[in-house]
Amino acid sequence: MAEDLLVVNDVKKHFPVTRGIIFQKQIGAVKAVDGVSFSVKAGETLGIVGESGCGKSTLARCIMRLFDITDGEIVFDGRDISKLSRADMRPIRRELMMIFQDPYASLNPRKRVGQIVGEALEVHKLGSAGETKRRVQELLEVVGLNPEHYNRFPHEFSGGQRQRIGVARALAINPKLIVCDEPVSALDVSVQAQILNLLEDLQEDFGLTYIFIAHDLNVVRHISDRVMVMYLGKIAELAEKHELYDRPKHPYTGALLSAVPIADPERGRARQPIVLEGDVPSPLNPPAACNFHPRCPRFQAGHCDVEDPPLYPFGDGHVAACHYPLERWPLSTDEFRKPGTAGPPAEPSVVG
Amino acid sequence: MALLEVNDLKTYFQTDDGIVKAVDGVSFSVEKGKTLGIVGESGSGKSVTCLTIMGLNDRKNTITSGEALFNGENLLTTGTRRLREIRGNDIAMIFQDPMTSLNPVHSIGTQLIEAVQLHRDVSKKGARARALELLKAVGIPRAERRIEDYPHQFSGGMRQRVMIAMALVNDPDLLIADEPTTALDVTTQAQIMSLINKLQEDFGSAIIVITHDLGVVAEAADDVLVMYAARVAEQAPVNKLFKRPHHPYTWGLLGSLPRLDADLERLVQIPGQPPSLLRPPSGCRFHPRCPYVMDKCKTVEPPLVPISDDQEHLQACHLDEETKDREAQKLLEATMAQAI
Repeated sequence: MAEDLLVVNDVKKHFPVTRGIIFQKQIGAVKAVDGVSFSVKAGETLGIVGESGCGKSTLARCIMRLFDITDGEIVFDGRDISKLSRADMRPIRRELMMIFQDPYASLNPRKRVGQIVGEALEVHKLGSAGETKRRVQELLEVVGLNPEHYNRFPHEFSGGQRQRIGVARALAINPKLIVCDEPVSALDVSVQAQILNLLEDLQEDFGLTYIFIAHDLNVVRHISDRVMVMYLGKIAELAEKHELYDRPKHPYTGALLSAVPIADPERGRARQPIVLEGDVPSPLNPPAACNFHPRCPRFQAGHCDVEDPPLYPFGDGHVAACHYPLERWPLSTDEFRKPGTAGPPAEPSVVG
Repeated sequence: MALLEVNDLKTYFQTDDGIVKAVDGVSFSVEKGKTLGIVGESGSGKSVTCLTIMGLNDRKNTITSGEALFNGENLLTTGTRRLREIRGNDIAMIFQDPMTSLNPVHSIGTQLIEAVQLHRDVSKKGARARALELLKAVGIPRAERRIEDYPHQFSGGMRQRVMIAMALVNDPDLLIADEPTTALDVTTQAQIMSLINKLQEDFGSAIIVITHDLGVVAEAADDVLVMYAARVAEQAPVNKLFKRPHHPYTWGLLGSLPRLDADLERLVQIPGQPPSLLRPPSGCRFHPRCPYVMDKCKTVEPPLVPISDDQEHLQACHLDEETKDREAQKLLEATMAQAI
């Protein structure tokens, strides 16, 4: 069994909410990430899915140490990096890289492609100018761009090509772990397929480990080995991908899966989608106990709103935070509501 | 007679670099109570087609030809005043981004009331009642209170609901939804799509859904138009398009889709990028990216013609039907074989 490259242990990231200009008083906290624990094995791809505002991007930035975490620990390659100083963090940054969502905003428009891709090499003083140039051209070729484009500016490229530049930049210093934050969300399907295939090839060639964040469940299923579902800063469910997609346990996972449109008119329309009511509540004032209970069709008054569900194990590393997990899948809308008779609470606390 | 009939629609934009042929000879029709899905990549002309029908392009630099008959009236030659009567009353549009299509300095109540009063001779009180009724119809909780709120107080899904409410103010016969769910999460997308479907059942409107998501099309549309580089590549009823796609571009789109219902070793990728519409490729516009390209494709533009045994299924490709059937079957097997 491969070793854990990254272990995230009960990580919390709370953003303070303050009032007043001179005498700032903290009046609350946005619990963007609230007690998340998981590990990533070397060479695997962990997918993270969830709706906007569930804390998946904040978690990514915590792992990258772009944010200082409020509590918990992040162990990368056997070393706790959560409290390292900037200087101590530097050598570790060589092994952790990130690919961003928006290929239009994540490349400096005033720098040439060569400078963008080669910057990390310069920062870490890896090689002379000539070597850097050679390495950059090699990288451009690896990601399927013409090495002669070395001197061009980002605006001369299309969205897909820009994302390739972003990938080349992330690869420049041979990182071990690449955190991909919605790398294909802004791209058309045909270009999306190109980038997904590229990421898979690179993983094979260079033995990379990915944390792949997306809101598209189809994409995550395609690229991941294991998938983690987040809801309001917490883990709802974590399992091997087939296990999660074929036998979801958490009602939220079930609702997400049933909401994904299927590109097959017959089978797609035969399904009964489980439409969730309302919106994701505000993380400033999350619901008590199980944070999904105001929207949950399986809500049981007196239990779900009182006792916070732990991550119950379901074998083979499959965990889900639900007191009333789904017995099987797929379920009809009525079966979904079982057990018990209670529907969702009368007044869902929609914050909007 | 179809509710909307578009014949040989062309929209050219004059730019400093030359003429961009954004829509180049597109024809289709929409019946009452039906949903037409238009799919294609960015820049394929799907949005411009609808903006042209609505007369929303900048008049100064646009050259438009062809006809768009709405209840027999050609929208392309109608005067501005008449067009304003039709827009918002008979034809309504929902835009992609609910964040930017609502006015941030007016409460949503004010904006809805304005939409009602523009087309109906009612008092402010009557208009407000109508606005409230619609907010309830689209599922805004506590509508009486929220009608006073401003757009920034609503979430993305709620704003899109407000947009839909605004579009429905005057019970339009035709609703054009330009990427209505692209900016939304899956669960919200499911809410909005089921809302649009329900409203169609209630009001019997015709709907044009523009999207790049083949999943949305598969679940919502009756007929599908696949656009590539300002032209129609394939047009068919939804079941036929997904069961027996006839155009290599459609195969590429279907193959490049990661799926929830099947394990694909590797996604089929369409090589290259969509072409520039300033200087589109000669012959078939898809030929530089097509894996089945023949000599003929480079010079002769394939016409949009029905396939031999089905008048409803139109496609523009030179390949012989035998090859097409074989390839379509292969694609289907690859995705269906491992279906759950």
